Amino acid sequence: MAQLAAVIGTGQTRYKTKRGDVSIAGLLREAAVNALEDAGLGFEDIDAVVIGKAPDMFEGVIMPECYLADALGANGKPMLRVHTAGSVGGSTALVAASHVQSGTFKRVLTVTYEKQSESNAMWALSTPQPFAVHLNAGAGGYFAPIIREYMRRSKAPYDVGIKVAVKDRLHGARNPLAHLQKPDITMAEVEESMMLWDPLRLLEACPSSDGACAMVIAAEDAVDSSAKPPAWIRGGAMRSEPTMYAGREEVNPRAGRDCAADVYAQAGIRDPRRELDVAEIYVPFSWYEPMWLENLGFAEEGQGWRLTMEGATSLDEQGDIPWNPSGGVLSSNPIGASGMIRFAEAARQVRGDAGDHQVAGAKLAMGHAYGGGAQFFSMWIVGADKP
Amino acid sequence: MSPTEVLSEAFELGFTYTRSTGPVVGRFLTGLRDRRIEGVRASDGRVMVPPMEYDPDTAAALDDFVEVGQQGEIVSWCWVSEPRKAHPLQQPFAWAMIRLDGADVPMIHCVSAASEDQLATGARVQVRWAEETRGHIADIACFELAEVAQ
Repeated sequence: MAQLAAVIGTGQTRYKTKRGDVSIAGLLREAAVNALEDAGLGFEDIDAVVIGKAPDMFEGVIMPECYLADALGANGKPMLRVHTAGSVGGSTALVAASHVQSGTFKRVLTVTYEKQSESNAMWALSTPQPFAVHLNAGAGGYFAPIIREYMRRSKAPYDVGIKVAVKDRLHGARNPLAHLQKPDITMAEVEESMMLWDPLRLLEACPSSDGACAMVIAAEDAVDSSAKPPAWIRGGAMRSEPTMYAGREEVNPRAGRDCAADVYAQAGIRDPRRELDVAEIYVPFSWYEPMWLENLGFAEEGQGWRLTMEGATSLDEQGDIPWNPSGGVLSSNPIGASGMIRFAEAARQVRGDAGDHQVAGAKLAMGHAYGGGAQFFSMWIVGADKP
Repeated sequence: MSPTEVLSEAFELGFTYTRSTGPVVGRFLTGLRDRRIEGVRASDGRVMVPPMEYDPDTAAALDDFVEVGQQGEIVSWCWVSEPRKAHPLQQPFAWAMIRLDGADVPMIHCVSAASEDQLATGARVQVRWAEETRGHIADIACFELAEVAQ
């Protein structure tokens, strides 16, 4: 990357089941205004706007970039929409960052969102097709057999997913923006919750949320408007692969491994568990924590579940590498925004701005998103120190 | 060798959605239910009807609501000589840009008129309300030429 860029503002809505009080534009607007206030800027200071959301069918709004231009102060400015399924929140942040890193723009506003209450995203993921059996599976149904295969290969105990479900909800109880607020959740409560897609129970799945997340990304000479320190972007990478092809490794996708290797190389990281202070990783279903611990090189293949069970990823157990201190996707899932929340929460950590879910002294953090059939990956590393 | 039969199948895909209107468009629609037309004043002083949530120039949130008249004038129009089933009127009519009294920008609606030669830029029109209003743009059944309607 040619020019340095940093996050100088983040803004989020409170995540909820239903925001009937606002239009879709009004929902984004809250996050955008919060990010601008955090950056000490107004709409007039912004050079370009980059938005992202999940597929159009989720909300039935075609060309949302046109509909949203007034609300985001984008009239007369370049505006771009990014679209990479569930990973879109992450790839939107990376496109916005590249607008600055290329030297083209000084300050870019980026916003992602979903208003799940006004649609039925789960079934829009799983449409019937002519000449084919309709599985009516949704996301959980797609991932359940992949998780089953992980359990078989790793010989992990059955309750690893239950542990993740509890850990991320306890984290979410520290975050006033999190949708699910379950400070008293127990392993037994998760285990007794309805089996949705064997082996995934209701409480091992993400909720369906309304919400938006925004960031302001600025060039090196434009980071001083915010009262808070900048989060320097130390590396960013995306990788894609087809949903299905002969011999595809679905448990530990190659695109994820390659993407991680790229972003670590940019940031000079050799041992992510030791060198990173905190990570916000896209875990919409509980078992994706141990699976991504391995895919992202925090653990050897087959060993990720041990980190989870030892409490290494838990704030409450003083783990050495907390994952998803904000509560993660398991606590809030406005799909289009969920990846950007990971990226923004990573930035909040290294800015010392994460409130009750702050990892003490965090200097280097990772944000991660995946989407489609675990086939789109986007990741970034942000740091308190200027590279 | 017989030619291969290439199969095809009709395919219809549908989803239902909800749309929350928010505080500005929602207020406009609620006003229509009460047979009242409300616009909003923009940062440059213009009154916009229907109202916009955010100022097109400054991006500021707008909330200075202004009730406008139920009469106005045609700015421009397009005559529909052969209405189809989906059209709001089944007699020949015009789609028109109508600037209501007190508004600074025109809104699009339909005008019922006996023939195209009754229409002109500047022609006065007035609202004909639907028999039952429900908070929808179709609460304005159509506009009619003001002289004819009286």
